[in-house]
Amino acid sequence: MKTIRSLGLLIVIAGAVGIAGCAAAVPPQDLVNARSAFARASTGPAQQLDPADLHTAKEQLDVAETSFTRDGDTQDTRDQAYLAVRKTELAEVRARTLASNQAKEGVVGAMHADEKNTVALTSAELGRTKTQLATQGVALQATGAALQDEKTRRELAEKRLAQAAADLAKFATVKQETRGMVITLSGSVLFASAKWDLLPEAQLRLNDVANALIKEDPLSKMVVEGHTDSQGGAAYNQDLSQHRAQAVRDYLVGRGIAGDRISAQGFGPTRSIADNNTAEGRANNRRVEIVVQPTTPAP
Amino acid sequence: MHKSILSFVVVAPFLWACGASFPVPTQRMADAQSAERSALELGANNEPDAQLSLRLAQDQIAMAKTAINDGDNQRADSLLIRAKADAELAVVKARDKGAKIDVQKAVDDSAAQKATNAGQGAVK
Repeated sequence: MKTIRSLGLLIVIAGAVGIAGCAAAVPPQDLVNARSAFARASTGPAQQLDPADLHTAKEQLDVAETSFTRDGDTQDTRDQAYLAVRKTELAEVRARTLASNQAKEGVVGAMHADEKNTVALTSAELGRTKTQLATQGVALQATGAALQDEKTRRELAEKRLAQAAADLAKFATVKQETRGMVITLSGSVLFASAKWDLLPEAQLRLNDVANALIKEDPLSKMVVEGHTDSQGGAAYNQDLSQHRAQAVRDYLVGRGIAGDRISAQGFGPTRSIADNNTAEGRANNRRVEIVVQPTTPAP
Repeated sequence: MHKSILSFVVVAPFLWACGASFPVPTQRMADAQSAERSALELGANNEPDAQLSLRLAQDQIAMAKTAINDGDNQRADSLLIRAKADAELAVVKARDKGAKIDVQKAVDDSAAQKATNAGQGAVK
């Protein structure tokens, strides 16, 4: 009987030891959580961004593991594991915060760089605009000066024209027509009948004409037109008027008027200004006209 | 009678060890409460995740006070260590929330600046 009791007691003790052994092998939930949390954190951003806190968490986990190995599932083991979870979470949260701070610095840095770039581009544009304005100002000034020169030149030309007209009016008819200033010289004063050689007195008059024309605008062009009355053949009169116009033109060139400014053209009787049936009318039709064409206005 | 005396002799040293040798964890309490105040000041109550950690800290501080009143200073000490860890976690969670707000503000500021520059005809 005593043997049976002893055997029963042995079985109970063995069972108890066995149960105790199994219990010791099962870690508390806090330790399981700590292991899991650390495994997650050690492969997450904390590994790079907050290794110091992650290391502290690892040390705390080691403390919990040691406690479990040494004492099993005790309150202290659970407390240490609880702390390991918290320290692991702390490392993870700090890593997130650091990542946020880095993101913010990136955004702010990009914003400042963008602002700096915009300022630089705007400054460059401003510089270009200033240069452009200065160039335009110079051009405007030059245009203003050119306009003033043109105005002065025209005023001078007008004065010369007025003076020339006044001088010519003494011995010739001067009219202002749309084709320009027309100086009309009587043919009988300039030429002998049926001739195109200038009479001596005509030369004196043409000297005055030349002097007056020289005072004219040096840019103006002139046409010497020869006209006859209707007596005689048309071809003859045409030829005569051409020679007379040419003679006057040549004389004026000889008196200093530039050859390229003055040309000659005969019109015969085609442009009569008076009645060819009367002696007075025919006398008026026999004439030489010098047309001073107006200078083409500057654009 | 003999059994009672024997029990006292066996148990008394343990009682002495638990109660008399472990002082009231005054410093631990101060540390835990300080961390709790920091969390509150950083707005942990306004951020759900931080609020959870803060609540855990506060609960454990309360439990520690009860333990102290019950004479279990060692348990109170452990609870206060846990409370401080939770409060510190609440602090970093509150700061993390602030950092996220700062990032969003920077993104908004950047967008606003771009819009302003474009509106003023800045050179691109």
